[in-house]
Amino acid sequence: MAAHMRNRSKHGFVALAFGLAATAVCAEDNQATSDAKASRASRQHWAYQRVQSPTEPNVKQKDWVRTPIDSFILAKLEAKDLPPSTDADRATFIRRATLDTWGLIPTPEEVVAFVNDTSPEAYERLVARLLASPRYGERQARLWLDLARYADSAGFQNDLLRLNMWRYRDYVISAFNQDKPYNRFIQEQIAGDEIAPGNEEALIATGFLVGYPDNSNSRDLVQRKYQITTDITDTIGQAILGSTIGCARCHNHKSDKFTQKDYFSFQAFFANTSVNEKIPVTKGEYEREFEAAQAKWVEATKDIKARQKALIDSVREKAVKYHKERYLTDSRESIFKPVEQWTALDRWVNHRVSYVTTENDLAAFLRYSGEDKESPDFDKANWDKWLEYRKLTEELKKFDKLKPNKGSIYISGVTELGHSDSPPTYVFFGGNHERPEEEVQPAFPESLTTEKPVIISTEKSSGRRAALAGWLASPTNPLTARVFVNRVWNQYFGKGIVGTVSDFGKAGDRPTNPELLDYLADSFVRNGWSIKSLHRQILLSRTYRQASDHREDAYKADPENRLLAVFPRKRLDAEQVRDSLLVASGKLVEKVGGPSVFPPIPANLNAGPLWEASADPRDHNRRSLYIFTRRSVPYPLLEPFDMASAQQVHSKRDVTTTPLQALTLINSDQVFAWSQALAGRVIREAGPDESAQLDRLYRILFSRVPTPSEKAVLLAFLDSHGRSIIEKATDGRLSLAVPIGLKDTPSRDPLRAAAWVDLVHAVANSNEFIYRF
Amino acid sequence: MRQSRRDLMFKTGFAFGGLALAAHLPGGGLLATPTLAATYVDPLAPKEPHFPAKAKTVIWLHMDGAPSTLDLYDYKPDLVKLAGQEVPASFLKGIKTSTQGGVGKLFASNRTWKQYGQSGAWFSDLLPNLAQQADKIAFIRSSVTIGATHDISILKLNTGDLSPGRPSLGAWVTYALGSANPDLPAYVVLYSGKKEPTGGSVNWSSGFLPAVYQGTAFRPGNSPILHLDRPELVGLSQQRDDLDLLRRLNESRDVVYPEDTELQARSRSYDLAYRMEAAAPDAVDLSKESEATKALYGLNDEATRDYGTVLLRARRLAERGVRFIQVVSGPLEAAGEDVRNWDAHQDLEKNHGAHARAVDKPIAGLLADLQSRGLLDQTLVVWTSEFGRTSYGQSGNGRDHNPWGYTQWLAGAGIKAGTTLGSTDEIGLKAVDRPVDTYDLHATVLQLLGLDHLKTTYLKAGRAERPTVVYGSVVNEVLA
Repeated sequence: MAAHMRNRSKHGFVALAFGLAATAVCAEDNQATSDAKASRASRQHWAYQRVQSPTEPNVKQKDWVRTPIDSFILAKLEAKDLPPSTDADRATFIRRATLDTWGLIPTPEEVVAFVNDTSPEAYERLVARLLASPRYGERQARLWLDLARYADSAGFQNDLLRLNMWRYRDYVISAFNQDKPYNRFIQEQIAGDEIAPGNEEALIATGFLVGYPDNSNSRDLVQRKYQITTDITDTIGQAILGSTIGCARCHNHKSDKFTQKDYFSFQAFFANTSVNEKIPVTKGEYEREFEAAQAKWVEATKDIKARQKALIDSVREKAVKYHKERYLTDSRESIFKPVEQWTALDRWVNHRVSYVTTENDLAAFLRYSGEDKESPDFDKANWDKWLEYRKLTEELKKFDKLKPNKGSIYISGVTELGHSDSPPTYVFFGGNHERPEEEVQPAFPESLTTEKPVIISTEKSSGRRAALAGWLASPTNPLTARVFVNRVWNQYFGKGIVGTVSDFGKAGDRPTNPELLDYLADSFVRNGWSIKSLHRQILLSRTYRQASDHREDAYKADPENRLLAVFPRKRLDAEQVRDSLLVASGKLVEKVGGPSVFPPIPANLNAGPLWEASADPRDHNRRSLYIFTRRSVPYPLLEPFDMASAQQVHSKRDVTTTPLQALTLINSDQVFAWSQALAGRVIREAGPDESAQLDRLYRILFSRVPTPSEKAVLLAFLDSHGRSIIEKATDGRLSLAVPIGLKDTPSRDPLRAAAWVDLVHAVANSNEFIYRF
Repeated sequence: MRQSRRDLMFKTGFAFGGLALAAHLPGGGLLATPTLAATYVDPLAPKEPHFPAKAKTVIWLHMDGAPSTLDLYDYKPDLVKLAGQEVPASFLKGIKTSTQGGVGKLFASNRTWKQYGQSGAWFSDLLPNLAQQADKIAFIRSSVTIGATHDISILKLNTGDLSPGRPSLGAWVTYALGSANPDLPAYVVLYSGKKEPTGGSVNWSSGFLPAVYQGTAFRPGNSPILHLDRPELVGLSQQRDDLDLLRRLNESRDVVYPEDTELQARSRSYDLAYRMEAAAPDAVDLSKESEATKALYGLNDEATRDYGTVLLRARRLAERGVRFIQVVSGPLEAAGEDVRNWDAHQDLEKNHGAHARAVDKPIAGLLADLQSRGLLDQTLVVWTSEFGRTSYGQSGNGRDHNPWGYTQWLAGAGIKAGTTLGSTDEIGLKAVDRPVDTYDLHATVLQLLGLDHLKTTYLKAGRAERPTVVYGSVVNEVLA
């Protein structure tokens, strides 16, 4: 093995040297370099060919096969003379399946019911129950939100709140729970406004497009438009097409034959796309709650706001002009043009100015004109007005606590501003928007398809996005279904059939089992793009049912476990860790959807007003996907566990192991309090017998009971641990952390009670809890 | 086993070995996510550089808000002469200004200038202490960047892109070289002032690299890392005993997964955490420093104490093998009523007076201290900002943002001390020769750490990404 490694790394440098010589960053491919001419005639890259309907292979061990998936897996194993693993025991299976579908550990009662279910349909019933629960949608939504670079704030320095975005998050949850067909799901997100005008849900779905990081204070709006379009294009390219088309922004793609022209033709679908963050929503409970809270703030600040407004009104015209003059040269050209002369680009720029400009921006004029003696606008009186304005701003801050930071009465979605004509799109030399070259029209990448977009504009929209969405969602698209089924496979088996889940191009991995990939993609489309059917198929396969125990023969023959002779164990994702700890402690507040919440953060994070923990304790214990995604303040309990970064498409959760994770779990006051609650819960549920308590603890956390030797270790710990606790006594006083949630303080030895808490905390920190096997 | 070259190339990146392989590759190689137990190797294990490194540690001093280097280092007698006049049109050619109808008049602040050291470098009266260290410094007077607003230019300074999502330079360094001291984070962010710098963690993010490579912000006070302190009611030996139990529980499962090095690494991470609980507070414990050292950093003076404390911490972290220490200058009450960082759009005199005072002695102290401890030849100090400020005035007594020409400097390991590279035009507005962009600065820092910026790559979605995006060349003129 070692010799091979060296060999390979040497070749790794060959690859890098290519990149260097060509001043290229996209990974090279021999077909695209030396053999370029020859390969042009040769057959197309596998992922760009139509999905096939492979026949189920013949296998010897027919009785092992439960679903067609198993035949595809077993055929490869038999070719290597590797038997599959035995089935995992039922308790392990239900813990695994519950974590994978819901992102939570199962309750001991659920485990017992499944273990004792003698029906031949036991597995089918379990899977049906898992997929029918709203918890399924919550878990699956989180993974889609990774791809949608979902956040509740805009990022950059100001990191403004986006109080409408949770509606998009709820849309995603609900789409998974309703089993909305995947093709419809992506069409709504890309073109909901065009394909279903007036449909509120479809409009909310376009939140997918408006989730880009943004800085409202950008002064270069032409550049900003380009950056936004780039974000949208690259997001769709990676998330839906599993394609690195973004590579072709600065130069023709090195390996996938995407040209710059392809790239900018793709951008052209979004040339007329603007955002509207104030689309009124049908009011329900959340909206009324928000309005009531907002009304209190408005009432309390009414006078201050009125006085501020009066100050600005006295100079408003000049202030607006001054503000507009702060934009860079090419933005100013649009801004100062009369409305009747506006082009489509001018519309975009002016719309942008209108929704990012705040009263505080205008107040800057008071200061400037009151201060700058050189200025023709100089007016000493404005300085006093500025001081007054600033004083009022300080006064206003006193009411910040009243200002609701959750909920809204609006939808954020896309709009084409009521026009069907789009600004022109050009190829930019080197990706530099200040160096436009030839103009391009919306088109699909030529290396992927020969289809041409059929664009039907409406009175209010260009129709371009609908055309793109139609192609993405078409059964003939070679990538969409393959990429999605591969992501789901990656979820269950820790590695996709194509390992590079967002790169199906030539530089990406080749599928380890291309027939299986096509089988899954083909049956996915045949099943009406039903995501639940896809999950069901995998969950009921024998492949998924295998034990994860180490097998020397499999390890030797296939150390990477590419053939899946063994089920791959996996560390829980950040959200699974926190949510399962909440389940174990009995504190999880289950409520599907609603505005994002602010649970507490450590005081020394120094986040200031960026993070005010919610006063409502129920908000502290919601599932992690409801935690406010503040781009500048990743939630500290989740962040060390490789949570998704909300800045760009997050394709795959890494698994890293660091001491900061250990510090978080062992020292966080929150996690420790959950262990105290779990300690109390176990005593409540198991009664006074310590052996029964240990059984119960293990059932809750691991879905099993401890072995006699484990039990002996744990009991010995309870006996001896008191001594180490006593050491921290100062002045003969000793404060102890004891189990929480017990009605009557039992006559129990308080030292032993504290030792019990520590035992529970240690068990909750163990590998067996934080992995699923 | 015969394989096509294509196979070899791609499997190198993803399929075989993952981190195990990455650990063998200098500068990190093409790293992929480990999914399998058998291949797990500590992602922070030390890795060999591409060639022998000059620097072991980087101290990256970011002056937040953008100082006017025209008022610190870049002496322009013509600007003084022309002050009060309109900017001659020729100087504005080719730049996109953010003001309609012309820019303000040329502005000279009330400075006195002198040359210092053998090198004769100019310093204004705002930096009397740093001036004494002139001969340790290599100036780049022709720095350029992109952007009209702080946040995008700060992102570019740290990550090489105007939009968030790319790894910061420190993350690349950590990815490529691993950690030299497992008891401390390899990449630490320090800031003066009470609050985290605005924009926060995107500027020390690992971007698309695994999160393990992101910067760890050290908080003020004696408990610098989040979750470093034990829960209030848990004693030290009590926790040791808890962790011993935890290890036994983990070991009892090892029988089922004997080859699982990832599980073993997780067990070990608790021992590292336990050590970090002691090592991190110790690293920032200034009570172990002599009075003379504290005075050197200005800890005995209210005006310099805050920033001096941060820099003394930085030196202690450098001594302990932390690879990359990113220091962000904090806001000052004394700098102005609204603008508290270096962003002197008005009243530059007051603003820069306060900020220069706050950092001058501590930075001079740091350079002197590193030298006297024999650390300067292995520590690279970079003085940098998101952009500079204009030669024309704003609000009568301030300056606007200037991405077209400003000064940054380097000192320490591998640097040709006492040199100056490049220059700006007669009024200090635009770089006129040898423009040095942030990418070039990044390439140079990597070079000094023994890393070829073109070979420091990470395969992300089919694209071999590198720290300098598609740009950058090493600024050889400032290298010894």
